[in-house]
Amino acid sequence: MKYAFFQGCNIPIRIQQYAVATTAVLKLFDVDLEVIDDFNCCGYPIRNVDEKSYILPSARNLALAEQAGLDIMVICNCCFQSLKKAQQMLANDQALAAELNEVLQKEGLHYTGKTRINHFLTILHEDIGLEAIKARLNHRYTTLNTAVIHGCHLLRPQKITKFDDSFIPGITDSLLQVAGAESIDWRGRLECCGAALAGINDELASRLFMEKIDNARAADAEFIVPICAYCYLQFDTAQINNLKAQPAKANSRPFPVLLYPQLLGLCLGLQPAALGLADNQTISSAEIESLQARLGPPEPEKKRRKKAKAQV
Amino acid sequence: MMNFNILLTLAVFVFLIGLALRLFAWFGQGIHPPSPAFSPAKRFVQSVKGVAATVFSGRIITLIKSSFSDLLFQRRIISKSPLRWTAHSLIFFGFMLLLFMHAMESVVSARLFSDYESTLNPYLFLRNLFGVMVLAGIGLAVYRRITYKAKRLKSYGSDWAALLLVGGIIFSGMLLEGASISSYTVFQEMMDEYGAFDEDEAANLEAFWVAENGLVSPNISASIPAEQIELGREANSFSCVECHAPNSSAFASFSLKGVTRPFAMLLGDSAAVGLFYFLHILFCLTFLAWLPFSKMFHILSAPVSLLTRSVLPNPPHDSGIEGLTSANALTRQMVGLSACTHCGSCSVECSASMFFESFENDFILPSEKIQYLRHLAAGNPIDPATRKQLQEGLYVCTSCDRCTEICPSGINLKEIFINARYALLADGIPEKTLLGTFSFPLALAQRYPDNHLKALRAVEEVFRRAFQKLTDLALPLSLTRGSTMVNESYKSCYSCQRCTNICPVVRSYSNPVEALDMLPHQLIYSLGIGNTELAMGSKMIWSCSTCYLCQEHCPNQVELTDIFYKLKNAAVKKLDPGELP
Repeated sequence: MKYAFFQGCNIPIRIQQYAVATTAVLKLFDVDLEVIDDFNCCGYPIRNVDEKSYILPSARNLALAEQAGLDIMVICNCCFQSLKKAQQMLANDQALAAELNEVLQKEGLHYTGKTRINHFLTILHEDIGLEAIKARLNHRYTTLNTAVIHGCHLLRPQKITKFDDSFIPGITDSLLQVAGAESIDWRGRLECCGAALAGINDELASRLFMEKIDNARAADAEFIVPICAYCYLQFDTAQINNLKAQPAKANSRPFPVLLYPQLLGLCLGLQPAALGLADNQTISSAEIESLQARLGPPEPEKKRRKKAKAQV
Repeated sequence: MMNFNILLTLAVFVFLIGLALRLFAWFGQGIHPPSPAFSPAKRFVQSVKGVAATVFSGRIITLIKSSFSDLLFQRRIISKSPLRWTAHSLIFFGFMLLLFMHAMESVVSARLFSDYESTLNPYLFLRNLFGVMVLAGIGLAVYRRITYKAKRLKSYGSDWAALLLVGGIIFSGMLLEGASISSYTVFQEMMDEYGAFDEDEAANLEAFWVAENGLVSPNISASIPAEQIELGREANSFSCVECHAPNSSAFASFSLKGVTRPFAMLLGDSAAVGLFYFLHILFCLTFLAWLPFSKMFHILSAPVSLLTRSVLPNPPHDSGIEGLTSANALTRQMVGLSACTHCGSCSVECSASMFFESFENDFILPSEKIQYLRHLAAGNPIDPATRKQLQEGLYVCTSCDRCTEICPSGINLKEIFINARYALLADGIPEKTLLGTFSFPLALAQRYPDNHLKALRAVEEVFRRAFQKLTDLALPLSLTRGSTMVNESYKSCYSCQRCTNICPVVRSYSNPVEALDMLPHQLIYSLGIGNTELAMGSKMIWSCSTCYLCQEHCPNQVELTDIFYKLKNAAVKKLDPGELP
């Protein structure tokens, strides 16, 4: 399997470890990722201002993947939704497609809409499959309480993203369970990190993510696991900024944030350095050691079969 | 020779004036933060201190390494753009080698090599090789400028002028050499000065030079007997070979005879040599005088910029400048601006390139911004329309930092843009794209947070003045037929208010109506009664976190979040033409 790896603007410069860990994990399952240097912004940042300007960049990205003969894999939710939205709009609006194609034409590109857009978790869950992941595990966590936050633009609108049940999502839970991690039920699982408001209404933006951190703590979570790049930046970088800005909290420990491919990667025998764990600003080396200490043996053969049956 | 010296002095004089102006700009100008506290003299002293502190520390090793890898080898562009790397390397090495070996032969080549003679090999051959390298590089550069036009590579007249001048130097030099090779006058002068031949020998030698060394002689028109050539070769080997390798080694000039000979026939061979000499000198001296006033100044400024970058790498993303006093930060901005070659690598890579296509604003492309910003740094007057375009161009940026990563001159574009952005916003002219998610990375980086907040207030003020509020309206509200929403799903609303009840933003305020003007269900109601304007002016749409919970939970499939996006777009558009103040 090979995909064009769409990283967007934030990941290559602010969350390299997300791309590094994802690439390392997928490599173990023979999934190759090709980074197309020519990819541009997904268009999301301009969505408040002008819709057509929002769609055009995604049309170009899809046309580039089409030219390379590859389907796209995305790890940022906002990029994911933008690409999906563009595809849906262009499928329903021939005139718009023709107009945008005229712009793309200048570079010798053409959009037809045949590129498939996959989220990284879908590839793990559907294309590789839970069984294959289980079979490849070196370890499983003996105990690990995680508060997963999906990020809005992955789940909703379900009509566009078609990722999972947007009310009772199951993909993340099962992917965490495979690794032996508990996906706790907490207030915030399906809610907003406030990123879309940062820089426009900072007070509200930080209230939204700080409330999630409090809720995760209250639900006894040990790590927050954000799926979206924007959520990650809110919980990691913005959390640190927030603590620094409050003299009273300057010395308090931030709530640690872990990315899913990092969590899974440790169970697959990858080293913390290969997963960029130390690059997460909110994770201390003690927490990395604690994660490693909880790695137990992969589940015994028998028990695994039973569980699989129960799921069917 | 007399004339040459006068012209050379003049060119050097102009060059020095240009250099002085450039240096004054380095230490006297800057974009932001405004710092009248630093006089040019103080900035100069600060920079000398900075350089000294670097040179007399372990970082000297970094500088030396960088001189090889960044300056000579151009490491930064080889992987990203092999075409540009090849073109630049050919021009750079060809030109530099010619400069040292040929233009400065009396001070370099003649001192290094005791047997140096410009007409002997390998020098004769090498001069042509280097020249051809430069011309090939220019050919590639022209090809790149033409084919990359579709990739948003902009070319100015000055870009073509630079290629023309460098190419002109080389080509006129080749013509000069070609014309001298075939010139009978030059041949005769040499014979008079160095030859000690009887008449027969002289005739034989001349025949040999015509046959093998490209000489055009008025005495020889018919084919030359082979024996005579052999006798000539013998004479040549006694007297000429000490200083003359076969002219065919000057492979480029030698093969230009088709171009030079018509000139020699028209003007006379001596005048043709004179003409090409004049052209060659003219090109060289024009280039020298023009250098500090043009992008060719990068020959001096790009090394400074690259070396600075090697010891002061770009600050880790999203943090302030570390290890650089603000006096030096301003100076670094200016060095950066002067190191831009308008190569367009940044614009070709720019992640916001498609916004350039839809906004049709050149300033969205980094190369165009950086070129123009020198006017801002110099404090030149900028007309309001251009200023608005520039401000938008500075703001429509995804902060992906690709431009800064790719810049072959090592310019810290990101720093310059951030500073320029807030320098312009400080004037209080509202910038509508502030309301896009472009603001997210800026909020994360927390540079100039107060300026950012002030700029936001300016936009909010525009909205406040442009739209009526619910509370401004006289009751009772009546039905109008004004709604022009493309998304008509609002018509299915049956007033259950689930949207408002599930909204995390509404929940965040103790008095949401006061904070948001209208609640989500009220927005839909106002569309229902045909008052789109009211919805467009409410703070709710700009406080929407776009989480889509309302839209997903609406029992009647009203696409609230999508409608809010439409309202935001419409509100921005409405402000656009009559933008205040």
